[in-house]
Amino acid sequence: MSSQTFGPKFNRRTLVKGAAALGAFQVASPFLIQARGETPIRLGMVDPLTGVYAAPAGNEVMGAKLAVEHINAKGGILGRQAELLVEDSANDVGTGVQKCRKLIERDQVSFIIGDVNSGIAAAIAQVTNEKKILHIVSGGHTDSITGKDCKWNVFRVCNTTRMEANSVCGVLFKKYGKKWHFITPDYAFGHTLFDACTADLKKLGGTVTGNELTPLGTTDFSAYLIKARAANPDVMILLVQGSDMINCLKQIVQFGLNKQIHVAGTQQELESLAGLPPEARIGTWMFEWYWKQPGVPGVDKFIADIRKVNNGHVPTARHWFGYTSAMSFALVANQQKTLDAVKLAGALEDFELPDDVKLQPNKVYYRKGDHQLMTSAFVGEAQSTGKDDPEDLYKVDEIVPGDKTAPPVSDTGCSVKWPT
Amino acid sequence: MTQLLLFNVTNGLIIGAFYVLMALGLSLILNLSNVINFAHGGFLVIGGYIAYAITPYIGFWGALVVAPPLTAIIGLIVERVLIRPLYGRDPLYSLLLTFGLAFMIEDGTRFIFGPQGKPVTVPPFLSQPLSNDFFFITGYRLFMVATVMIAVALLFLLLRYTRLGVRIRAGALDLETVAALGINVQMLRSLNFAVGIFLAGLSGVLAAGQLGLEPTMGTGLLMPSFIAIIVGGIGSLPGTLFGGLLIGVASGLTAVFYPAASEAVMYVLMAVVLLIRPRGLFGEEGMLT
Repeated sequence: MSSQTFGPKFNRRTLVKGAAALGAFQVASPFLIQARGETPIRLGMVDPLTGVYAAPAGNEVMGAKLAVEHINAKGGILGRQAELLVEDSANDVGTGVQKCRKLIERDQVSFIIGDVNSGIAAAIAQVTNEKKILHIVSGGHTDSITGKDCKWNVFRVCNTTRMEANSVCGVLFKKYGKKWHFITPDYAFGHTLFDACTADLKKLGGTVTGNELTPLGTTDFSAYLIKARAANPDVMILLVQGSDMINCLKQIVQFGLNKQIHVAGTQQELESLAGLPPEARIGTWMFEWYWKQPGVPGVDKFIADIRKVNNGHVPTARHWFGYTSAMSFALVANQQKTLDAVKLAGALEDFELPDDVKLQPNKVYYRKGDHQLMTSAFVGEAQSTGKDDPEDLYKVDEIVPGDKTAPPVSDTGCSVKWPT
Repeated sequence: MTQLLLFNVTNGLIIGAFYVLMALGLSLILNLSNVINFAHGGFLVIGGYIAYAITPYIGFWGALVVAPPLTAIIGLIVERVLIRPLYGRDPLYSLLLTFGLAFMIEDGTRFIFGPQGKPVTVPPFLSQPLSNDFFFITGYRLFMVATVMIAVALLFLLLRYTRLGVRIRAGALDLETVAALGINVQMLRSLNFAVGIFLAGLSGVLAAGQLGLEPTMGTGLLMPSFIAIIVGGIGSLPGTLFGGLLIGVASGLTAVFYPAASEAVMYVLMAVVLLIRPRGLFGEEGMLT
């Protein structure tokens, strides 16, 4: 072993270098301290980047990243830079909760965004509530999040299942008939969506010919489709999502069922339509946000910005969810000049989003009472190929404001309890 | 009701045929090399994505011919580099390796092609039902069944009448003796692995026409294939064939009465078979013990 290990030798050069370094530190230290005081404000995001929801989750994260870029370009949050920390919930409740705790306890985030999966969103809402962290649910739709399980610190950007059903059920009943058969994913989101649709159908005077509960991740829908056709409905309502939606629609078209029964549903996404061959892009649906909105302020810039980071592809509703969630935090914190979660949550009630964030024609705001974003439903039809753009796979017939699709607060079962 | 039952039995046979193709590949690898290949679904995905990537240039038929051998070549490389060093060790090692490999393939596919599903269009004349009554029997599904039948027939002919086939069968029974007779066992295992992966690649191309192509699609198709092997009997290729068809029909019939259990019924069937006849319906006693 060298002698240096035991006793490092000091010589003149080392001494001079050391003195110079110390001097430089003295000069630089005020700047370092100042920079330390301006540590970034952290936004935590929990989303299932792996598993069946990887595509929508990835797009939400992309939207949130763009928002952070825009926030920092405009001076950050309270004059400090914003930083986005993303964790993968792996589409698993336990993992999602663990990652959320890590973001709050270890990474000291000031805000939380997530999750696509309703079950995980509801579970991490418990954690953010316990830790008093402002939380925006970007893409989990089940009603209870802004319904019976609502919390003072939890807000939601995407629609509730009731809002989805209310936006499209009337149109379907009027246009295509009163006997409906459902293909429903067998978990919380599917069940609440089915309940919402059947409640609407009952009010309209229609009947349910059957409900096929399909496990999440079903690849072959033929057995369910055989049963559905045997029931002879007017409309087949698909409530499945993601790859299940793709598989189901593909098989419906191969079986020629779309020529006998009208195919429709509530929530449809550009991610699913893009994954289908042209002949299977059919049906009447609602989109929660759609990119083609000529003349609406801010939309063209948003499309251009997302195209730059998305291999030239247009934004989907999921990009907008992530973008809006992150922008909401920055807007309200800069308006209130504080990071105090209780004060910010209070200020978010009835907070109206500006044009360059709402990116749609109607008024968009977080409703006081249940903290649900009153965002529009884009009701229309899928189209096999885009006319001007290959990604224009949906024709919007009507943009229904959130105020019209959302049930009144008194019907949601939400009663927000504020911390004393 | 009778019509509904008949429909679902037929439909179950069609689905079962697909499981058979996957399960036979798995079974081949398991029998000779004692490798429980959890990455088999991953190779299916690779086959599907290769088909997606080359279809614009050589069409669906070209992809059907080219994608499975390309997948088999990738399989050969994987076997040579990753799996070969683990032969002779506890099967748990290769199980863990292929388990990890499955995640790597899934994430690799997501990295290259993105998480969003990709559309594969089949020739229009295939994607139509044959008749209004039997609407669920489309040209494509019949074509799938025919392809599976041809592949299975060729596989059985290969195993029965070629030197390679005889060696694979002999190796599955007693690899040491085969090695003692001077046969290059490493080469035999590699070729056998490649044949198994070829079948996974073929399944991938067929699945891409029927289902949405996305990085996780292999996972959902892998489990029924494992169940087919266990129900049919480990070590028996005819057993695997029968097991695949049986779980397809069981799943189809359950969907008539209690759809929510249409997947669970496969596991129930497996549990019942294991309780009554642990070696599987056609299995030989002592395999994999």
